[in-house]
Formats: sequence, structure tokens, C-alpha cells
Amino acid sequence: MEYIVETHHLTKRFGKEIAVNALNLKIPRGEVYGFLGPNGAGKSTTLRMLLGLMRPTAGSIRIFGKDLKKERISILRNVGSLVESPSYYSHLTAYENLEAMRKILGSPKEKIDEVLDLVRLSNAADKKVKSFSLGMKQRLGIAMALLNDPKLLILDEPTNGLDPSGIIEMRNLIKRLPKEKDITVLISSHLLSEIDQVATYVGVISKGKLIFQDSIKAMRNKAQLKIRLKVSDANNAYRSLLAKGIKTHYQDHIIYLYEQSDEAVAAVVETLVDEGYSVYRVEEEHQSLEDIFLKMTAGGDDR
Amino acid sequence: MISLLQSEWFKLRKSKFVFTAILLGPLITFFYALMLQPDTFGLEKRFLWEFLIAFTTLLYALRFLPLTTGILAGLICRYEHQNGGWKQLLALPVTRSRVFLAKYTILMLITLTMQLLYLLAIWTSGVLKGAEEPFPMMLLWKSIFGGWIATLPLLALQLWMSMLFKSFAAPFAVNVVFTLPAILAVNSEKFGPLYPWAQPFLMMYVSGDAENDIFFVPWEQVLTVVGGSFLIFFFGGLLYFRRKENI
Repeated sequence: MEYIVETHHLTKRFGKEIAVNALNLKIPRGEVYGFLGPNGAGKSTTLRMLLGLMRPTAGSIRIFGKDLKKERISILRNVGSLVESPSYYSHLTAYENLEAMRKILGSPKEKIDEVLDLVRLSNAADKKVKSFSLGMKQRLGIAMALLNDPKLLILDEPTNGLDPSGIIEMRNLIKRLPKEKDITVLISSHLLSEIDQVATYVGVISKGKLIFQDSIKAMRNKAQLKIRLKVSDANNAYRSLLAKGIKTHYQDHIIYLYEQSDEAVAAVVETLVDEGYSVYRVEEEHQSLEDIFLKMTAGGDDR
Repeated sequence: MISLLQSEWFKLRKSKFVFTAILLGPLITFFYALMLQPDTFGLEKRFLWEFLIAFTTLLYALRFLPLTTGILAGLICRYEHQNGGWKQLLALPVTRSRVFLAKYTILMLITLTMQLLYLLAIWTSGVLKGAEEPFPMMLLWKSIFGGWIATLPLLALQLWMSMLFKSFAAPFAVNVVFTLPAILAVNSEKFGPLYPWAQPFLMMYVSGDAENDIFFVPWEQVLTVVGGSFLIFFFGGLLYFRRKENI
């Protein structure tokens, strides 16, 4: 697989505190990589290091296969970014903000209208940004990030402060980019639901450590179904099932089944009834991605 | 680098008060010069030019030049501090050294423009007052160019301070604290030549005893005090900006 971003033992220390701990990020080309973690887990610090705004204490960063330390300028030519709260010059209009940036990037002037149109700000192009709502500022930030036709787009909490319709619009935009423009997107959030709706690949960070990194499908597979049984005299019921060679899991007067096919569930119920136990409930228990995420990040506490 | 300069000038010229700040010093100098009457000081009219330069430098070189450049240094950093401009700018394909140099170059060019406007103010007021002698071009070039050179180290420090402090007031206060004693320093034989904030005045003030073909102060003073303070302030600021972590 071709990796657009690859970090090796990336570490950042602030005094004694380790903000980012030996991160090995691997972001495959053409994916929307969701960088997920609670606030203060080290997401922004990592993104800042990827943009060369902060120097790593240890470790290395390769973007487009090039060493960031040595080829920062040529890498950044192909990177668009929106880091934390949107950045803008409030004394300039939306158009002028993009123009100030365009002068540095050397993109053609038509590009400004194009990106303004893309984020639906064409009507507000000549308004001073200080009069913008947070959502409009955020969209202007995206427009700025797209001005240089980036191959890698880094978005830090891009839906922060957006209203529901703005969030949906942003989501659709993010989903469209990899397909239409061959852009790899790195998007960070502390909300799993955000990542779940746009990302195709996930990295979970907690207390500075990367605790999960795989496709979103692999993460969903972890969210497995469980069948739980509530029966009379559960402890003895568990034992008699075990005596019949049916393996289950017993916890807090509930029996959990490992086998989940219809036949297996029917067989267990039949056995229990034959043995004289009353079956009160047969239920499915879903473990949501949210539960998995919470478990993962809570696990970080013990480390 | 050119593109960075263009972008920087674009952002600055759209700021409020930029042109007011640039024009204010030369304009007040112009009206002040118009009001000055050489005969009240018992001076003959043929010394009109020297008289005008000498008196206006007190106001312009000691006050307006250092204070205005301080304001401009603050303005050129203000919009970067306000809404995350620094991080947006530095995440572009630019190096920090170039950003620093671009901002410094803009300040340098604006200061030069102010000096030329000052020249214009003196010339216009002299002509309006009916000067009989030809315009002492050599004298003025010395003064204009010298004042510009002497301001360069102050500009570097002001840029450094403006990058260091998020607020507009803090670097300006630093600037005022160093600028105010300059009026005392220029009257001191001992400290005046050594005090960087006194240099714009000393290098603009017309005097004949420096034995220097280019400036009004001795070469040693230009090289050590102006040159030395420039090196310290410029590279201090540059190094600070390159190492700054919390962008």
C-alpha cells in the first residue's frame, strides 16, 4: 500500500509531559483518515508536527515519501491545512484573504473563485471576514486549504462550531474530495460519530499513544453482537449447559452465548427448558462503535 | 521571496491607520517648519535650510521616526497574532527566516519612504518661505540616508518585540521606554553616541565636526553602535522567531 503520511516513533515532549508518544501513523493514499481521540490526547500536537509548525522531540515524518525535515517546503506545496480554530485576517474580505495567500502560493487567480464557489461563499466574497459567522469562517478555512490543489488535506476538528446543515455540507465535501480530486484527507475529531460518517480509515489516539489503526471496517467488526439470556437460577443453568458441552459466558446472573446462529440459540433454549429452567429473556446486545471507542480510550488510563 | 513581500504589503496596506501613520510625521514636520522663523533666533536667511533641518530633526528624528516605525512594526504583526494568522502563514510553503525577512524589508522600505517624505516636507516649506540659497542636496542626503541607517536596528528590535508580544501595547511601551530617554541622551557627550535610540537624531542632525564624508557622525560610531545594535536586534529577533514553538 502507498502511504501518503508515515511517521516513525514520532514523539513530542513538553518538559516532563509526553504529549505524543512514539506514534507510527500510516495514512494510505486516497483514504479519509479519521484521527480520533479525546481532547488533549495529542491530536493537534501531532498535526502541528506534520505541518512543521512544531519540531518533534524524537522520531521522523515522511509525507509523499519525502523527509519533512529536509524537504518541508516542497512537501507543503502540496498540503492544505486547517488547524484548530479557523485562521483568517479579519480586516480583509474573504476574497482578499485568499488573495494574500494566493500571492505566496502562486496559484492562478481563477482558483480563488473556484474554491469560494466550492465552499459556497461566492456571495460573501467581498464582505470583511470579521462579520462572518463561525461556520462561514470555517468554510473560508477550507477554501484556503484547497487553494493550492493539495494532494493531502489536513483538517483539525473541521466541524467544530458548525450548525447541523453546515456539518452535513462539510461531510459531503470531505467525502467528495478523495474521489473527485485524488486528495488524501486527514481529519481529526474527538467525536466518533463525526469520524464514523466520513472516514474510511481510523487511527485512535489516547494519552499520546496510538492504540488502534486500521480500516473503519475492521473497527466495526470489533463491534460484535452478543446474545444474552436471562433465566431462573442462572448459575446452575450455566453449569448444566457446560455439562452438556455448550460453552457460554456467565456474568452477573446473565448467560452470554458465544455461538450466535439461530440453530445454536434454539438448541440452548431447548436444553434449558428440558432441564427445567425458566427462560425469561433472550436478547441481542449491540456493542456500538462508541462503546469500543470508550473502552479503547479508557484502557489508556492504566498505561 | 518577492511573492512573500507582495503578500505582506497587501495585508499591511489594507490595515487601518497605515497611511495615516506614515504621513503624520512628515506632515507635522511640514507645518512645524512653516511656523519656524529664523530671524527670531537672530539667524540670517542664507542659513535657512540648515536651520530648518536642525529644528525639525528635534521633533522628527527624536519622536516621530522611532514611534511611527514602532507602530508599523506592531501593525505588521498584529493581524498575524489576532486570529491564528501565524500558524496559517507558516503552514504554507515558506520558511520562517523568509517571513521575518519579508516583514523586516517592508518596514525598511516604509521607513525609507518616510525619510523621503520628510525631505519633501523640508523642501516645500523652504521654498514657501522663500529660500534664496540653493537646496543643500548633499547635506540632506546625508541626513536622510543617515537617519534611515540609524533606524534599522530600532526597526529590528521593534519587529522582535512585536512578534514576542501578542498585544499591540506591550511592544509599543517598550519602544516608548527606550525612545523617551533619547532626548536626554543626545545632550550627553558621553552617552549620546552610545545610545541606539539617539542615533537617528545624531545622524540626521546637521553638524560639521564628524570628519566623515558620508554621515554626520564618526565612522566608528556608525559601525559599532548602529551596526552592533543592528546585529544583536536583527539576529536576536530572527533566532527567536525561528525557534518559537507555540505558533
